[in-house]
Amino acid sequence: MQSLLEFLIQGIVLGGLYALFAVGITLIFGVLNVINVAHGEFFAVGGYVLFAAVVLLHLPPVVGAVAGGAGAFLLGLCVYPLLIAPLQRRLGRRPAGSLYLVLTLGLSTFMQSSLLAIGGGDYRQVPPLVRGILEIGFTGVSYQRVLVFAVAALLLAALFVFLRWHRQGLAVRAVAQNPEAAQAMGIDLGRIFSLTLALGVGLAGIGGALMAPLFNVYPAVGFPLTIKAFAITILGGMGNLVGALLASLIIGVAESLVVIVVPSQWQNGVAFVVMIAVLLFRPQGLLGRATAR
Amino acid sequence: MTKLRLLAVGAAGVALFLPVLLPHPFVLSIATQAVIWALLAASWDLLSGYTGQVSFGHAGFFALGAYTAAAASKHLGLSPWLGLALGAAVAAVVGLGTGFPALRLRGHYLALVTLALAELIRLTAQNWLAVTGGPFGIYDFGSFTGLPATGILRAQAVYLIVAAIVGAGVGAMLYVCRRTRAGRAFRAIREDEVLAESLGINTTVYKLLAFGLSSGLAGLAGTLYAYYIQLVSPTVATAATTSLVIGMAVFGGLGTIWGPALGALLLYAISEGLRFIGVVYNLVAVGLVIMVFVIFLPRGLAGLRFGRAKHVLRKDATVTGASG
Repeated sequence: MQSLLEFLIQGIVLGGLYALFAVGITLIFGVLNVINVAHGEFFAVGGYVLFAAVVLLHLPPVVGAVAGGAGAFLLGLCVYPLLIAPLQRRLGRRPAGSLYLVLTLGLSTFMQSSLLAIGGGDYRQVPPLVRGILEIGFTGVSYQRVLVFAVAALLLAALFVFLRWHRQGLAVRAVAQNPEAAQAMGIDLGRIFSLTLALGVGLAGIGGALMAPLFNVYPAVGFPLTIKAFAITILGGMGNLVGALLASLIIGVAESLVVIVVPSQWQNGVAFVVMIAVLLFRPQGLLGRATAR
Repeated sequence: MTKLRLLAVGAAGVALFLPVLLPHPFVLSIATQAVIWALLAASWDLLSGYTGQVSFGHAGFFALGAYTAAAASKHLGLSPWLGLALGAAVAAVVGLGTGFPALRLRGHYLALVTLALAELIRLTAQNWLAVTGGPFGIYDFGSFTGLPATGILRAQAVYLIVAAIVGAGVGAMLYVCRRTRAGRAFRAIREDEVLAESLGINTTVYKLLAFGLSSGLAGLAGTLYAYYIQLVSPTVATAATTSLVIGMAVFGGLGTIWGPALGALLLYAISEGLRFIGVVYNLVAVGLVIMVFVIFLPRGLAGLRFGRAKHVLRKDATVTGASG
């Protein structure tokens, strides 16, 4: 019973990280209709920025985490004007097929191997940002994990507030609903696309910075998370933010509970099995509406 | 187009005969691997470029073929000649198995499911210690029998065998696509699946056929890889392999079969030839090639026109903003 509760808490914390990741992917997909295969690489960028700030420059961890998010955000700002807009222009009204997927796959390879070229392939270790263990009844959680979960929850709450009430957030939602109508209302589409992409990958950057002490930092650290986040977005329903949030927690908890039944090295397979099952039996996801696709 | 085809045939001819004329071990090694990649890239293109069912999981089929052949030879002492067929068959069966659920999925979803499938295959390779050897992989399992024992002569013989098998595979794909009913059905499915169906084309059968053919040939490429490299480890099933293959295909020209094969030969030869500037920069370049070609040259090398037909209106240049 004790270990069950421990696994459950681990799973919820893991779910918080997944949510930070999957909500970003979902937001980008919902607004730009682009699946960002390079999302995990921004997670890695966040980790590397934190490593540089905290370990190399001896700056306080808070600065490192903020810089990690900001670095990913700024890189994300470049993605729309440099990559996606030129392809949109060339395609005009012709169907894109999977060209955007291939494009962001290229970006992923480019960023991952650039990180490898700059930072080397070593696993960079980062000391915990906060030390100590929080005692809850008969089990304990390290403050580092509590911090990850708390920051993820805060950021996601802030994102929902932004989307609900802020002027730019309203514009983002308007574009997600109907780009042409939004443009007719005077919304600058390019600006909203850039902003959305940067926001999405910025969340991944902060996630990468916060998780650096737990995961270590290396160039390919984010890619498996990207694949897992695809499973989560499909479970939650493509483009559905609340669904992504719910699915993140479900997958996080399922992954930590499944070790009771199967050896832990198979843990990472859970998300993929769930993904294939969802696509077979409920392709619109948990909260998605059935559409002709 | 004729000039271009001549050029392609010429390039392929040079690529095929250079290693025989210039039997340096380094040249032979690069050439053999490049030819294996050509088969993998062409098989990806058959499904993704030609039939329009984008797969992000070809590293998985490739690894499946490689592991099946290596494990059968290592644990059961199967002859490599039978291993080739067995690896291809297993990959084809799994590909067909993926094809069934994939019939309901299109575009994004199919790519994501195949990506997950490849990741599951990698996980299995890493964790099923008894058969796959875990993270260290399978090694030391014997190669083609009945060849000269060592040295350049053996390397040349292996190269010729691999090149002949790959040539037959690519040739078969080109034949199916260009000359048969199935090829026309593949193209129809890519252009408009609903329309194809309404014209009486059994899209289910032809999509499954494309899946089976493509994954089987990817598996065949995997078996060649296994018997040539003599080491199969979980890294072959990573998304980096898929990315490399897609890069090769985009570089060569999607939907032409011979374009991706040529693209693989060139890109592999270039990136290995440039190895002395540093291994990691190879993949930086692959990433750049994918992005630049997708945005500016979506038809790849196969679509280059050498400025001859500039005044002719391109068929798809009718819509606003189509400039490239």
